[in-house]
Amino acid sequence: MFDISVILQNWPLFWNGLLVTLFYSAISIGAGLVIGLIIGLIQLTGSRTLTVVGRVYVEIFRNIPLLVILLWIYYAFPIFAGLAVTKFWAGFAGLSLYAGAFYAEILRAGVQSIDRGQTDASTALGMTYGQRMRRVILPQAFRRMIPPLAGQSIIQIKNTTLMSMITVPDLLYQASYVSSFTYRPMEVYTMVGVMFLVLLVPLTFLSRKLETISERVK
Amino acid sequence: MMKSDPLLKIEGLRLKFGQREVLKGVDLSVEKGEVVVLIGASGSGKTSLLRCINLLNMPSAGRITIGGEAIYELDPSARDGNGVPAKTVNRIRSQTGMVFQQFNLFPHMTALENVMEGPVTVKKADHGATRKEALDLLSQMGLEEHVGKYPRQLSGGQQQRVAIARACAMHPQVMLFDEPTSALDPELVGEVMKAMVDLARTGMTMVIVTHELGFAFEIADRVIFLDLGTIAEDGPPKEVLLRPTHPRLKSFVGRFHETADLLRPFLEGG
Ligand SMILES: Nc1ncnc2c1ncn2[C@@H]1O[C@H](COP(=O)(O)OP(=O)(O)OP(=O)(O)O)[C@@H](O)[C@H]1O
Ligand SMILES: [Mg+2]
Repeated sequence: MFDISVILQNWPLFWNGLLVTLFYSAISIGAGLVIGLIIGLIQLTGSRTLTVVGRVYVEIFRNIPLLVILLWIYYAFPIFAGLAVTKFWAGFAGLSLYAGAFYAEILRAGVQSIDRGQTDASTALGMTYGQRMRRVILPQAFRRMIPPLAGQSIIQIKNTTLMSMITVPDLLYQASYVSSFTYRPMEVYTMVGVMFLVLLVPLTFLSRKLETISERVK
Repeated sequence: MMKSDPLLKIEGLRLKFGQREVLKGVDLSVEKGEVVVLIGASGSGKTSLLRCINLLNMPSAGRITIGGEAIYELDPSARDGNGVPAKTVNRIRSQTGMVFQQFNLFPHMTALENVMEGPVTVKKADHGATRKEALDLLSQMGLEEHVGKYPRQLSGGQQQRVAIARACAMHPQVMLFDEPTSALDPELVGEVMKAMVDLARTGMTMVIVTHELGFAFEIADRVIFLDLGTIAEDGPPKEVLLRPTHPRLKSFVGRFHETADLLRPFLEGG
């Protein structure tokens, strides 16, 4: 029998877990966007060195599983570097660095999808590189990037559950904890799934809405 | 009487794409107010030459001056080969206006915003005055009813006229046109040609690449035939288009000739 009282009695733990999940989602999406913007743009300057730096970054963080990145930063990096890394920093850094690689690719692809003629026309008017980017290329590219950015951010929210492996007390970690002393995994993990659905279904819906809007303004 | 310096002067211009030399030493002078039409077979380097004038293509050798100021001058020690500083390049570039085959309007801006963009962003011109002038330019192009529309809401002919207005808004000394009517439906070609003829009448210096030889005949003071990256013939339209000497030019204008022959008695009688 599904016993809802297991959830209700331990609701504060679920609630705290949810807040932690939301907190890490928000800060890692924010930091990931900043990283992605930098890594994406340096690949577009035309400088070979910067392009290679950007590529290497992207390939490293796109090709190592996030769980491995988190475990490495939390357990291996402190040994290399000889300094302590807190759970917070390990989780925050791992998630942000990982997201940054994906955001960078979205940005680069978005900018490169803009027709060459736009660069020609703005250059012919006498615009500098900065003016072209700011006034002509990025405003068009951002519109095209909204749907993939929203999609990647939804993946990012789901990815925060991996932090439970480095004992960050997110929703999944709290659920495992509740399960460990109530012996009710059925209720507990069902609840985790439901909470993610309640959180993400509206967001997915919203991102689809943004997609149709950005289609229209293209 | 002393002849004034040409407005646009190109000397010994060469352009390479990788190992391939596309322009092999072009010399060309355009006087103020002159309308020059460039013709030539596909791949002869017309677009390349036009794009060198505002450095959308970086030449590999030669010298280009606009209004007496160099925009390109070979300097083998410079990374891009240009001895002219980037700042100067951008400034002189804004003294040339360019109109593209594919219009290349900014799709996220209205017609009016497209026309205002250059003066406001590049010249930091006053917003109110620019707006007024942009509206004037658009109505000269017969677009007063479309100023608030986005490019996707306009026909090809309308878009191209917005593009001409956008280039004019920078008060260029010379306007460059790369096959401005080639992407248009036949019934829209006329309105763009008319806008260009009107512009030529205001005394604008123009360099036009076109395959429309009838139009070239009407608008040009001089016609230049580009062949394999060099200027093969250069003269008044009557000579170049009606009495070509170069064998490849002969076959190039052949099609046009058949119709033009019918006109010859009238042209020569006048
Ligand atoms: N960016 C480029 N990279 C390499 N080759 C190029 C490039 N642009 C043009 N070319 C080559 O240079 C030659 C001249 O091209 P260009 O576009 O100037 O010819 P065109 O006279 O304008 O021809 P069309 O009438 O077809 O427009 C062509 O052989 C073309 O393939
Ligand atoms: Mg061409």
